[in-house]
Parts: sequence; structure tokens; C-alpha cells
Amino acid sequence: MARTLTRALVAVLLAFAAACSGGGDGAQGTSKGTIRFLVFGDPGELAAYRQVVAAFQGSQSDVKVQLVEASDRADLIARLSTSIAGGSPPDVFLMNYRYYGQFAAKSAIEPVDTLLAASKAFRERGFYPQALDAFRWRGHLQCLPQNISSLAVYYNRDLFAKYGVAPPRAGWTWNDMITTAVQLTRDRAGRVVRAKESEAAAAAAVYGLGVEPSLIRVAPFVWSNGGQLVDNDRKPTRLALNSPEAKEALRSFLDLRLAYGVIPTDQEVEAEDDEARFTNGRLAMVLSSRRATPTFRKAAKFDWDVAPLPVFDQQVGILHSDAYCITRASSNKAAAWRFLEYALGERGQHVVARTGRTVPSMIKVSRSSAFLDSAQKPRSAQVFLDAIPTVRRTPSISTWPEIEDVTGGILELGLYRGESVDQVVAKLDAATRPLFARGQSP
Amino acid sequence: MNTAVAQTRGRGRGPSPRAAARGGTARGGTARSLGAILVVVVFAAPIVLLVSGSFRQPGLAPPPTPELVPDPLTPGNYGRALEIGGLTRATVNSAIVSGLAVPLSVLVASLAGFALTQAPARVTRALIAASFVALMVPATALLVPRFVLFRTLGLTDTLVPLVAPALLGTSPFYVLVFYVAFRQIPGELFDASRLEGASPWRTWRRVAMPLVRPVTFAVAALAFIFTWSNFLDPLIYVYNRDLFTVPLALRSLSTVDISDYPLFLAGAVIASVPVLVVFAFAQRNFLQRYRGSGWLGR
Repeated sequence: MARTLTRALVAVLLAFAAACSGGGDGAQGTSKGTIRFLVFGDPGELAAYRQVVAAFQGSQSDVKVQLVEASDRADLIARLSTSIAGGSPPDVFLMNYRYYGQFAAKSAIEPVDTLLAASKAFRERGFYPQALDAFRWRGHLQCLPQNISSLAVYYNRDLFAKYGVAPPRAGWTWNDMITTAVQLTRDRAGRVVRAKESEAAAAAAVYGLGVEPSLIRVAPFVWSNGGQLVDNDRKPTRLALNSPEAKEALRSFLDLRLAYGVIPTDQEVEAEDDEARFTNGRLAMVLSSRRATPTFRKAAKFDWDVAPLPVFDQQVGILHSDAYCITRASSNKAAAWRFLEYALGERGQHVVARTGRTVPSMIKVSRSSAFLDSAQKPRSAQVFLDAIPTVRRTPSISTWPEIEDVTGGILELGLYRGESVDQVVAKLDAATRPLFARGQSP
Repeated sequence: MNTAVAQTRGRGRGPSPRAAARGGTARGGTARSLGAILVVVVFAAPIVLLVSGSFRQPGLAPPPTPELVPDPLTPGNYGRALEIGGLTRATVNSAIVSGLAVPLSVLVASLAGFALTQAPARVTRALIAASFVALMVPATALLVPRFVLFRTLGLTDTLVPLVAPALLGTSPFYVLVFYVAFRQIPGELFDASRLEGASPWRTWRRVAMPLVRPVTFAVAALAFIFTWSNFLDPLIYVYNRDLFTVPLALRSLSTVDISDYPLFLAGAVIASVPVLVVFAFAQRNFLQRYRGSGWLGR
């Protein structure tokens, strides 16, 4: 309910902003002065951004950057929406591709294609095209990606060794993953346990797998099985999960709890989320993006690594990417661009890459030791880079955040309460049609 | 001797009505005490877990079940929380905002409440209706107009927008609370004051306010809690990290890795202490007055 209200508030604020905003006029200003840069992140990430800002200010004296720190995405969107509607937005902000559509649809973002074409700091081909394409809106590049990631399987190598189970390898299938997860779901005595019913679940001391019931976790498997997430990637009007391929993948996903008993129950997840359970050594595998890496580096007292996602038919991943965007109402776009050139250049990307939380969007940096640091876990970090050619993205539509919100609860019912695939698909369709109808696409 | 007489009387006539009343009072007191203990146990549990968790060693995987006494105890979490979360600076900022906003709120709300009791009935009714309407307007509906106002005045990225609501009593609710309290005072007292030539200002200060001290402390405590925990306003108006208040700093601290949650819990303890101190101080005044001899106690 609170999220819905927040979404409604953002929509109203953006409508107000659209009414107030004038047309864009390219990079303007004197490339001198002070700009505001809005980001969110944990204390480690924010410290890295402070470092980037300090290094930039040390490299020149014309542009000063005021770092505006939000704690999470919700805070950032609240700050951004209000300031855009109030006519005083930050000059630069960080935004995920799944969330920027609501701002692009209201023309609150300044396209950067001409600036990128004229840049001497870097060239378009220096960035992963998969990330760049995610930020194109009506033919224009809206934002420049700062990172690119995808879903991977984090696994506890010690548990695999202890129970003599072969670790995941490239090209492994969904059925391989189920078999592996079943072999690793154990009771306190170390015996394999089928934790399908709640009593049996209580006996499980270690679960084989952890995955959250969300559209972005289901999507890569639907694609892998030859299904589609939406009816039309460019102009989506509904979810397309009613095809046999999509249903088969969705059924396999929903079977993880009640048919195989390899993932924790919803009560267990409420008590201890998958990341915490994995760091405690009681979850053998967990599906997550690169964001989980710093936590596991710090807290996991066992050997762990990453592996590619399992496949149904073909290897497909899902794109995770954040980008720097310049606001259309920025009074000093030239200075904002100068900062972007530094932050997205090699030096800036090196600093952020060292947090371990992101995969750099610049190809050269992603292949450097700043990311592929052999002294740091995961030793198979290359998995994240190998997945990039296979990633697909969720559709660009302004209401996508709301669509993700409403689908989460429905998928939970399917996963934990045993609702049939047909019921789940019907509910997902009914809940999301109005949101697709209201959304704007590029 | 007296005891013996009393015992004889007691055996002869059964328990006297007063003794029975005392017994009933004692039983009622015991029940109240047990009830109070039960409530305290329920509400204290999360606080106990908060405090014990704040002493857990950071960098470890979260415990599957709560640890009442962490081993080893890590009091250094408090220092690190202050350092990482910027809580020292944030506490100073919150103290400045609260130090200005709370007295201002009490002053404005009490003056407005007193004015309502002195105004003609028709005006009072209209103003009370307006106050209720104002109470029903969601704060988020005013975000943009307020943002534009403060931006136009050049006051964004300062602490002024956080104090400014106090110029209007912070909330119409506080004005209404004072209005109700002042209405309980017999009107003859105000009439007598006026006949003696006292100005409305002097009547408010010398007659009205001393009689509603418990209410003043209650409103001050509420205004402090509201101001201290106000998250939305600093989120919208303040950009500079050096001007962050406690809720923003705590929010930032909440994004640490799950393994560092003891630092977040230590920050939460630090943020909660001033509220507990203020409440303890204020409740001594308004609860004792309520039980005791003030006009509210009659």
C-alpha cells in the first residue's frame, strides 16, 4: 500500500514536472561552477563516490561537485521527483534502467548522444552495448551506464566438497540444478531430506537453493526456455507468460518449494533472508547479482564462488545496470558532462569497481585487475563477464517499477502456497494489464 | 493494645468497609502492577534485543536466533557507528533543530490555543474546522509547494525548512490540545484577570499557562519526538551531508551489510536515547500533575 502511494506520488510529481519543464537545449553552461550529483548506496559505495568526486575536483578547478547522498533507491526517487517537480533538480543522478523510464517519459532527462559522440574522454564502443541499449529512449541515449551485471549462482564450495556433490559448471541445466539442490538439502545429521512439507522443512538444517520470487528472477528462465516476458519488447501491452514455454519455466520455478523442497519456506525467509542464510553456511546456492559480493567477501567464513545460471534451452541472463543521467532542467549541463567524463572514465570506474559491488560498464576496465582481482573472491569473476553477451533486459516502460511490485506478491503465492501455474499466470495478467495500459514506452 | 482491639473488632463484625476498600485497592494495585509489568515485558523485548544486538561483534554472519548476551561484547560499535554514520554531526544538527523548534511550537500552539478560547464563538468554530481540515491534508500533498517556497526563498539545503513548521505550531493538533486545555479553566479566572487590567498577553502568561503545565510538557514531548524523528523534510530539503539530521544518518547506516548490522543497531540506540530522556523528564511532570493536586487531577 505504502509503495503504491509512493508510486502515485512520484507520478503526480513527474506530471507536475512535465508541465513545468521547458525543452532541452543540449549541453549548456560554461562548464564551470557547482553541480549537484545525486546517488544512493551503502556507506562503502558512498565512500567510493566521495573518492571519485574528490579526485575529479583535484584534477581541475573549474567545476565543483556537491554529492547528494540518498540511502536507497526509494529515497533517491523521492528526492529526485520532488526536486524535479519543484524546478531545482540535481544536475546528475544515478538510476537503474528498470526505473529511469518514468523520468524519460516526462522528458526530465537530457539525452547524451551528441555529447558522447563529441567526447574525447571515451567512445561509445568502449562501453558494453547491452548496457547502452537499455538506456535508449525514442532513439536517444538518455544516460551513460556506470555498471553492468547479471544474475549468477553463488555457491558454498565447502558444502559441495563436504557432501561430495559436483560443483556447478558452465552449461549446466535446470534439472542439474534441481538434482544438485536436492543432494544438498540436509538435516542436522547430514542426511538428505526432502523438505517438501512444513514438518520436513523444519528438519532441514541446510537448504540447497535460495531464490526470491520476483519477475526479474523468473525472467531469465522464461527466456532460456524460449518463452517471452511480454508480448512486444518495444511496445509491451501485457505479460506473455501464457505460452507453453513460459509456463513450463514458471512451473519449474514454482515447484522449487512445494514439489522439491529445496528452498526455505516463506516463514524461514522472513526470519532469515537468503543472503544471511548463505553467509551462515546453511544455504548451498543462492541466485543473486554482483551486489551480493561485498557481503559474502566480508562475512562468509567458508570458500565460495560463482557459477553461470542453469539453462533450459539456451544460455540467457538478465541485465542489471545503473547509469549516470543529466537532468533536462540542469542549469549547467556542460559542467555536469565534464564530471561524467571523469566518473565514467578509467580512473572513476576503477574507484567504484574496487567496492566489489559492480561490474564496470567500460569494457577495458571490466577486464582489468580492478574487477578481475585474483586475490579476491569470487575466483570465477569472469562468469559475470561471460554472461554479458547473453543478457536480455526487461522492457522499457514507465510503469515497470509498479509492474515488478504487483507481481512479487502473486509469485509468492505460487511458490509458497501452491497456486497452480494457470492461476498465477491469470492473476499476473489481470494485475498488470492496467499498468501496461497506463505506461509509456519509447 | 490497639492492634488487639482492632483484631477483636475484626472478628466480631467482619472486615470494616474501609478495610475492605483497602483490600480491594490492594488487589487493584496488584492487578495494575501485573498489567504494567506485562506491558513493559512486551514492549521492552525489542528494546532489549536492540541493545544486546548493538554489542555483537560486526563482520560476522547474522545469528539465526537472537543472542541476549553477545560473546564477545563489542562496545566499540558505538564509536564506529558515530564515525561511519556521521551520527555525531547529525545529533548536533538534530539538537539545534529540536532546540529551536520545540519551544517555538509550544509558544505558537499555546498562544493560538489561548486565542481560540478568547475569540467570538463563530470565529472559534471556523478556526477549529479549519484546523481539522489542515490535519486531514496529507503531508506529501504539500511537498512540492513547500519545496518551491523554500527554494524561492533560497532556504533549501539549510536547516531552516526543518524549523519553519514550528512557526505554525508544527501541527494543528497541538493548537487544538491547548485549546481544549484552556477551555477547562473556569472563564471567571480570565474575566477576573481582565477586570484587574491585565492584557491578553499577561493573562496567557500569568494565568493560563501556569494552569496547563502538564499539557505544556506533553505537547513539548510530542513536538520533540516529531521533530527528532522527522525523516521526510530533511530528505527533501537537505543535500549537504554535514546538515543531515539523525533520521537521515540512521537511514544511511541501515544500508550497511547484514554482517555489520550491530553498527546500525548501535546507531539506533544512540538515536533513541534523547527521546527516552526527554520523555522521562516530561512524564514526571505531566503524570505527577495528573495524579496530584493540579486542576487536571481534581
